[in-house]
This record gives sequence, C-alpha cells and structure tokens, in this order.
Amino acid sequence: MARYLLKRIFYMILTLLIVATVTFFLMKLMPGSPYANEAKMTLTQRQIMDQQYGLNKPIWQQYLIYIAGMLHGDFGTSFQYSNQPVASLIGARLGASVQLGLQALILGVVLGVIAGAIAAMRQGTWVDSTATVISILGKSVPNFVLAVLLQYYIGLKLGWFPIAGWGQFSQTIMPTIALAVGPFAETARFIRTSMVDTLSSDYIELGKAKGLSRMEVIRKHAMRNSMIPLVTLIGPYAVALMTGSMVIENIFNVPGIGEQFVKSILTNDYPTIMGITMVYCIGLVVILLITDIVYGLIDPRIRLDESEA
Amino acid sequence: MKKWKKYLSASLLTAVSAATLAACSKSSSSGTKQTLNWMTKSELQTLDLSKVTDATSLDQINNSMEGLYRLGKNSKVENALATRTEVSKDGKVWHFTLRKNAKWSNGDPVTAKDFVYSWRRTVDPKTASQYAYLFSGVKNADDVVAGKKKVESLGVKADDNQHLTVTLDRRIPYFKLLMGFGVFFPQNEHAVEKYGKNYGTSSKTMVYNGPFVSKGWTGSNLAWKLVKNKDYWDKSKVKLSKINYSVQKTPSTDYNLYQAGKLDAALLAPQATKQLKNQAGYTIRPASSTQYLQLNEKNKLFQNTDFRRALSLSVNRKALASAVGGANKPVTTFSPNSMTEVNGKDYTNLVKTAETDKLMTYNPTLAKSYWKKAQKALGKSKVNFTLLTYDDDDAKKAGEYLQSTIESNLKGVNVRVNNLPKKTVLVRGQNGNFDALLMGWQADFTDPISFLDLNTSNASYNWGKWANKEYDKYVAASKTTANENARFEDLAKAERVLLTEQGVVPLYQPAEAWMIRPTVKDVVYNGAGANYNFKYAYVEK
Repeated sequence: MARYLLKRIFYMILTLLIVATVTFFLMKLMPGSPYANEAKMTLTQRQIMDQQYGLNKPIWQQYLIYIAGMLHGDFGTSFQYSNQPVASLIGARLGASVQLGLQALILGVVLGVIAGAIAAMRQGTWVDSTATVISILGKSVPNFVLAVLLQYYIGLKLGWFPIAGWGQFSQTIMPTIALAVGPFAETARFIRTSMVDTLSSDYIELGKAKGLSRMEVIRKHAMRNSMIPLVTLIGPYAVALMTGSMVIENIFNVPGIGEQFVKSILTNDYPTIMGITMVYCIGLVVILLITDIVYGLIDPRIRLDESEA
Repeated sequence: MKKWKKYLSASLLTAVSAATLAACSKSSSSGTKQTLNWMTKSELQTLDLSKVTDATSLDQINNSMEGLYRLGKNSKVENALATRTEVSKDGKVWHFTLRKNAKWSNGDPVTAKDFVYSWRRTVDPKTASQYAYLFSGVKNADDVVAGKKKVESLGVKADDNQHLTVTLDRRIPYFKLLMGFGVFFPQNEHAVEKYGKNYGTSSKTMVYNGPFVSKGWTGSNLAWKLVKNKDYWDKSKVKLSKINYSVQKTPSTDYNLYQAGKLDAALLAPQATKQLKNQAGYTIRPASSTQYLQLNEKNKLFQNTDFRRALSLSVNRKALASAVGGANKPVTTFSPNSMTEVNGKDYTNLVKTAETDKLMTYNPTLAKSYWKKAQKALGKSKVNFTLLTYDDDDAKKAGEYLQSTIESNLKGVNVRVNNLPKKTVLVRGQNGNFDALLMGWQADFTDPISFLDLNTSNASYNWGKWANKEYDKYVAASKTTANENARFEDLAKAERVLLTEQGVVPLYQPAEAWMIRPTVKDVVYNGAGANYNFKYAYVEK
C-alpha cells in the first residue's frame, strides 16, 4: 500500500507539473495584456508597465520564474486586485465554494441514494415512475432556473430564507438546494440502475433463500455493491461542486471562486489564472486518489497493491 | 406526464417572468435611520488611488478620500481641501491654499506635502499606475512616467504645509476637473510606509480624509460599509451615518432585494426597463460614453467620404439603441449628451447644425445617393467588409443590427460580423488589423476634449487613422485659448468637421436603468470618473 501511494504521489506531482506548463504557455497565447486601462495607455506606457511586471522577458524565462516561485509557495500577485497575493485571494474565496459544494454534494447524494434505492425496490410502480420523473427534471432543468425560482418564491414571497448574501448558515440553504439538484438526479438514476442489476443477482437470491430479511439483503448486500460505480461518479462531481459555480454564486452573491476564475481569464490576470488552475488540478488528483483508495475499501476484490503489481 | 409538463412549463414561465416583472415595492426599512443600502456591479479592487483602474474602486475613493476639489452635480467643481486657487496668466502655474482643519483618520493633518508625495508616487514607473497618463501636461510628467527624469522633477511643490504650487507644461483647460478625480488626491506617506504591500488592500490597511471611512472590506468580499468620518472637516454637511455596500451581479437578485427593502438602489436588467419605466424611482444613468465605428483608412473603401456618410445615413440609431436594449440613447454628436454644460446649455447643442443633423439622422434615400457616388468613385458596384466587435451580448446585438440595416439599405455592400473577445479586439485595433470596429469610449473627466483628442491625426487611439488638418487645427486651438467660450467654440468646430466627414460614425450613448428609492435624495451622479458622491445624500423620513 505504501509503495502504491508513493508511486501515485509521484504521478500526481508529474501531472501537476504538466498542467502548470501547458496552462502557462496556453495562457500566454491569449492576446492582450492584463492592464484594465490598456486601451487608454500609449505603447510606451505599456512597455514600461511590462518592464515593471517582468512581462517583457521571454516567455520561457517568465515560466521558469513562475515555477520557481510556485515551488516556494509563491503564486504571485493579482493584476485585478492590486497588490493582493493570489494565494490569499484564492484562500478567501475558496472557503465559500468548498462549503457550498460539500453541502450540495452531501444533500444531493444522500437524497439521491435514498430515491434511487426506493425506486429500484419498487421497480415498475408509481414510486419508481415518480422518482424517475424527478431525476429527469433535476437533470434537465438548469440549476440557475431553479435558483431564480427559489429566490423569488422562497426568498422574496415567502421570506423563509435570505434572498442573497453570505455569512449566515440560512444564506447557504437556497444555493445548496440549487446546486444539489444535479448530483441528486445523477445519483438517483445511477443507484436505481445499479441496484436493479444487483437485486437480480444470484447472491441476492441466495441471501433471500438463506432466510435473510428483505432489509438485511438490501442493506448488507445490494446497497454495498450498488455503491461501487457511484464512487467513480462522486469524485469528479465533488471537485466540480467545490470549485464553485459562477452562475449560482452570482445569483446568491456568494463570494466564491467560480467567478474569479472566469474573470481572471477575461482580464488576462495571469497569476490568478495559474493559481486557480493549480488549485482545481490539485483538488482533482487528490480526489481521484481518494476515490481509488475508497474503491479498495468498498470492494475487497480490488487490491491496490496487486493491481499495480 | 403531459399534465406534468404543462404544469411545469406554466409555472416556470410565470415564475421567470414574475421574477423580472414583479413590482409592488415594499416600504424601506432604512427610511428613518439615515442608512443607505447601495449596490455596485463589480468587486472593490483597491483603495490605493495610485493603483486604481475600475469604477467601483474610484467610487469608494471618491467618498472616503478628498482632493483639492469635489465634483458636484453636472461635474460642478466645489472647493474641498483647496480654499483658494490662483492661476498665472498663461495658465501654467497654479497656487492652491489648503484648509488647515483637514485631518487623516490616523490623526495626521492633511498638508501640501501629501499631494506632492501622492503625485510622485503615482507617476513613478515603479508604481506602474495605469492612470499615470492623466498627469500628462503637468511639468515633466511624461518624462517621469517614461523613466527619463526623476520623480522629484515633477511640477508639483509644497511651499509649506498649506500652500501647493503646480506647474504645467501647457495650459490644461480642464485642470480643475482633473483635480476632482481620485487619482489626483493626496496620500499619507506614514500610512503608505506603515502598511507597505498591504496598503489599500483592505479597509483596515488604509487611512481616509473624506466624508466617509471604509469598514469591513477584507480584500475580496462582496459586502462592506462606508461609515461617516468623525474627523472630516465638513462633517456637519454629511447626513448619512452609514452606507451598506454590496456587490450584485445578477439584476434579478438586486431587484428582489430592492423589493424586499434590503437595497435602496437596484440596477435593472435591460429587458426589465420597459416594464418598470413608469414606476416611481425609475432612474436613467447615462454614461459619459459613446459607442461608435472606427473605420480603417488603410482600406480604400473607408477613405471614401461618401461611403462613410452612406454608412452613417443607413443606420437608424434609435432602432439600434433599442435593439441593444436597456436605456441606451441614440446620439447625433460624438461627444455624449448630459456631459458638459456651456453657459447653462448642453455642449452638444453648440455642435449640432442642420448639416450634422442631416448626416446623423436615418435617411435611406440619401444613404443610397451617397453610396452611388461612392460606387462611381471606387469603380465597384459590390464591396465587402468585416465589422469587428466584442463578443458580449450588447456588441453582438449591435453587430447584427448594423449588418442587417447596412446590407438592406446599401445594396451591394456585404458586411461580415466578427465577434471576438475584448482583449483580442483591442490588440487588433491597436495593430490596425480591422476594417470597421465597433467600440466604446468612456471619458475619465467630463469635458468634450476627452472625446475629441481621440481623433487627431497622431492620437494613439485613432486606430482607423482618419486624418483631417482642419480638425487637428481646431483641437489644437482649443488648447491654447484662455477664453472658455472660445475654447468650446473651437471644440464644437472640430466636432462638426468630424461629423460632416464622418471620420468616425457615432452610434449611441450607453445608459443604465436603475430603481432608486424615491426617499433617497441628493445622491450626486456623474457619467465620468467617479460616478457617485454621497457627501450630501440623505434618506427622507
């Protein structure tokens, strides 16, 4: 296991380095400069600015300087937010996105598993049809439409929760619901299919024949086996949710990272683009590693050491 | 299933339209407290006036800091830190006497040295201020910005704590307006040194000398406050005790908050303006900005004046402004409306003549006749060109409209619209790599020269390279005369040449529609520079 982990960590670092390199050079291909007043500055002024920020150096030199800084934990200073280190900018914004993402993931997956399991157990009945319709709706109605509806009816008309803002738990409820619809629908659909398969397996029949109660069969055998494919799904979902959704964050005024990323690209804020890309990438490789480890725990047939041997 | 679908689509439709249309504003909870709940559409990026580039930050600086003058309604210059101003006959030397009772929030007095320090810091190439170009005209500023001279050579001097002298390279007729712009405000050296890299990156790492002080801004959060400054020299005039500021990026959200009484001002979505325009509180905020076409004279087609005129005449500007949506207004001049007043009248009235109005008004018949003349001169019956625009919604709508109106009115003209990201468009513009370019110019200060300077032969922003000696002559003349009326007359003459020749094709003036609670009074709005001044604002009880 230790050897496997070391190997994986080595590959993770390699992946990060490749992503950093590719992103850096692609980013430098974007036209324009990071200066907001670019159009109003003369060519000489732009050249002086470039000199100040080291943007007049050859790109490979800028790359080496960036990588050296990154290895020392220095992600540079933002252009948009004058003098603010990218690390603290991301730190301040990531918290809200991670919190919302986790809440949405837990809510969506838990409800999705319950709905999917019930639908599979009551296959072909109205319960199954209802669960299917709900999950199709959840998959096809964009979350921002739901967000606007929630905000108008629950926030403004009924006044149950704050319309927008950040700082109190009550302000996280509506964005969480809006974000949870996606993972809910996906999980419900997945668990239903997977469990319908599992329930028709021989070992389930065997369990029943041995006199196990219906609930025991479901809990000990059907559920566990149906969860395996779900792990593959949840990993990337977790990263996507925790790295923020620009639209939902904008609707509910959440100070998250989603919009920062888009804005940094539109404004050529090079250090911020790199910083957020690296955070996304680290999140993804770490979650993928965790997913693989969790696989081994859920399914004893998967032995990490052996699979690498 | 069918019933479900019907029910769902009906409720979706009702809800979405209700979210945008619903009216019935509730009474403000803030009505009695002298607290204002205001919004801005983008994050506060810095409080450091040497680093500022964006409108939100400029607004915060304008309300928490103060310079020689403060700009009132219609950019009227009011004394702020300056109590007396003397100007030399040639207009190149300015002596300011500063008030004695102005203090920084750290207790230091505000002195002439703070201005010298601030200006030198901004023009220092090491600071890399993106507004350093505004100092052009202050003695040696261009050379200092270019790193050719030391910052100490800049034409600003503290004679003593209360007296400041500014020397200019040339007369700057709009110098007073500049002095009301945040970039020219003083800075407290102790604070800049004390906070170092953190200076201006949060409310706490900053000192203030304006009507309000900033509280609660941590660097990237979406809500903060402006609280009345107890040390402000003119605090008896400041009626608001607090302004709660929040960043709102979705118009439906801010309008919901407005209806719930949580906001006193809400920026409306363009599609909501039609439904709400008759309601109390509906307010149009025109920007000192013009959207226009730059035509590249490298292309023979655009060297032809008749063709440029034909283009102008083929556009129904009213229809274009409404196609783009919101509260945008068609223009008949290049300088926007409601920007500058000359002897109590809008400057644009001075510009307009029957001839310019004729060329700026939709007239398909006249457009065709100019197009025929152009066809003859060019020796072609069919021409193609590409219209380059940004890829945002407004630019796309404008591009589509222009394409259809030009092609349908000028048979034989084929327009291809190319929507590209803003940064790409700017690079293409600067390199002269375009045929026709749709873009906007936003003034930094409310004087027509901020528009007319763009089109002189050597202007760095004249990407289309339209050149006209007469135009250059009038613009140059406006800079040497000491008589204000003669100066505006020169500017108007220049602008008439521009419009008659259609050196650029002005199209519309962008404007935003807001709902502002009718109980909110005396908020000063200006379309250029810092938009808001809350010094005298109050909430009627």
